[in-house]
Amino acid sequence: MQASAETLTFLRDVRVFELFSGPDLAVVTGRLRERDLRRHQILFREGDRGDEMFIVRRGTMLISKAVTGKVEQVLVRVEPFDFFGEMSLFDGSPRSATAQAETDVELLILGRDSMQAMTETAPHAAAAFFYAMVQVFMERLRRSTLQVAEATRWGLEATGLDVEGR
Amino acid sequence: MQRPAPAKFELLVRRDDSDEFELRQVASVVGYLNSRPRRVDPESYEISELRSRLAVAPGFILKNTTTDRFLLLSAPERFLWDQMDGATSLQEIATAYVLKYGEFDFEIIPSLLRKLQRAQLLTFEPRSRLRAALARNRGRVVVKALELALTSLERIRIASHNVQGFFQALYRFGGFLVFTPIAAIAGAVLAVLGAAAAVVLFHDVRDMLEGFGGHALRGILTVKLVFFASVALHQLVHGLACIHYRRRVREFGFTFLHGFVPTFYVDVTDIFMASRRARVVTAVTGALVHLVLGAVAFIVAAQAPPGSFRQAFAAASGIIQWQALVVALYPFCFIEMDGYHILVDVLGAPTLKHDAIAYAKRLLTGAGRIRQGREELLWIGYVALSTLSVAAFIAFNVWIVLSATH
Repeated sequence: MQASAETLTFLRDVRVFELFSGPDLAVVTGRLRERDLRRHQILFREGDRGDEMFIVRRGTMLISKAVTGKVEQVLVRVEPFDFFGEMSLFDGSPRSATAQAETDVELLILGRDSMQAMTETAPHAAAAFFYAMVQVFMERLRRSTLQVAEATRWGLEATGLDVEGR
Repeated sequence: MQRPAPAKFELLVRRDDSDEFELRQVASVVGYLNSRPRRVDPESYEISELRSRLAVAPGFILKNTTTDRFLLLSAPERFLWDQMDGATSLQEIATAYVLKYGEFDFEIIPSLLRKLQRAQLLTFEPRSRLRAALARNRGRVVVKALELALTSLERIRIASHNVQGFFQALYRFGGFLVFTPIAAIAGAVLAVLGAAAAVVLFHDVRDMLEGFGGHALRGILTVKLVFFASVALHQLVHGLACIHYRRRVREFGFTFLHGFVPTFYVDVTDIFMASRRARVVTAVTGALVHLVLGAVAFIVAAQAPPGSFRQAFAAASGIIQWQALVVALYPFCFIEMDGYHILVDVLGAPTLKHDAIAYAKRLLTGAGRIRQGREELLWIGYVALSTLSVAAFIAFNVWIVLSATH
């Protein structure tokens, strides 16, 4: 893919590329692939193999986790400039959740081979990438903790369980 | 401190064989209203009336015989305690409370639940005896398959919560006519003509059902399937009545009751905020759909060539429609249909069936004694009439089938 000026400008506002120099960003941009999804199209399912992360350029993605039967819990909405699927990028583990398009979506795809090439050819850029990634991980961990607390509150409210009085 | 908003889950519900899905927000309050509190087993508690010359309203002492804890209950709390059988949801309990006391105290149910939990007088066991029995015998393949089938069927529920606009449009574009004097007169005339046609036809049931060509049972079952569509119409008219009284239709859909009874349903609980007349009209008009359809069917049957398929089909449809009318409006049949709801509303006894069956069971097992009170007479009357009615209903259907097949 040609490192278009539009994509370069877009990537400057993506958290993990914020500290990249112009030439480094141009190299990364050249390695990104594009993919379009129509509304409600599934990108990958929980349990699928994967080694790519996805950056939302336009539209909204829904990340959901199976709960029971055909019911899944929506974990998060991924808006433009945000990304998802990074866990499989690092360890190649099966997808931990399902990703589907809530609206028509345009994605940019960063594969593991591109990340490894970046580590070898642009170590400064790779360090900035990993540093930003760690910060994002911590934020998501905090959000997961809040979600667990919220799920517990839902259960207590729904059952009317009187914990304080016990 | 400001109370936080109820917790919410956002759920994604997939449809069959496609990527399509629907997003639903489920607030904890929905789970709360659908929860079914269940009091502990009868041997774990005792309850007795507290008599006092000073107190105007009666009180009750509830004792947990396992922990030796005592609770003082007011009469409304005692009423709520009696509803907590594990099968009745909090929403239904609240509705019963409004019917009984004519008002609603928003704090009484949560505070009673807290008291009962602290005294360990509530349990969270499976809500149905059938499901509890299946759960106990899950090791057997057949039982496991049956449980799986029931669970799958219970999950089948096609419903829309956003139906108010649809029913308002239906009312505006002709539905309002159902609630005019002309419609009432036309219905009455049709009923009289239909009844006259039925009398003529019933002179010889065998001739009438000959059109099925010796396969009367199969013919009647086919008619039953067609009848199923009229159940949807019955529910639509309930919804129109709700709109007529300017109340909200909360839901309309299709589901399997108890996992095996297919049915359409409409949620018109908002009508409880209207007058008793509105509640009665809402209940009756839905059932009158069967009166009109049955009358039309009998008239068609009377006009059809004797012994033709058209006559047999129309006559069988008429019988089934009018049976549905009776089942819907006749309150004494152990089924909580429209007529039952009208009766308990008029009597101010929302738990009539539950109390009557419990009383009869106590008498039959020797655990209770016959008393001459008004309530006891009502309970015995309800059980006796319902038993006789169910027996008569079965006998009538057996007679119809035997007459047609011999």
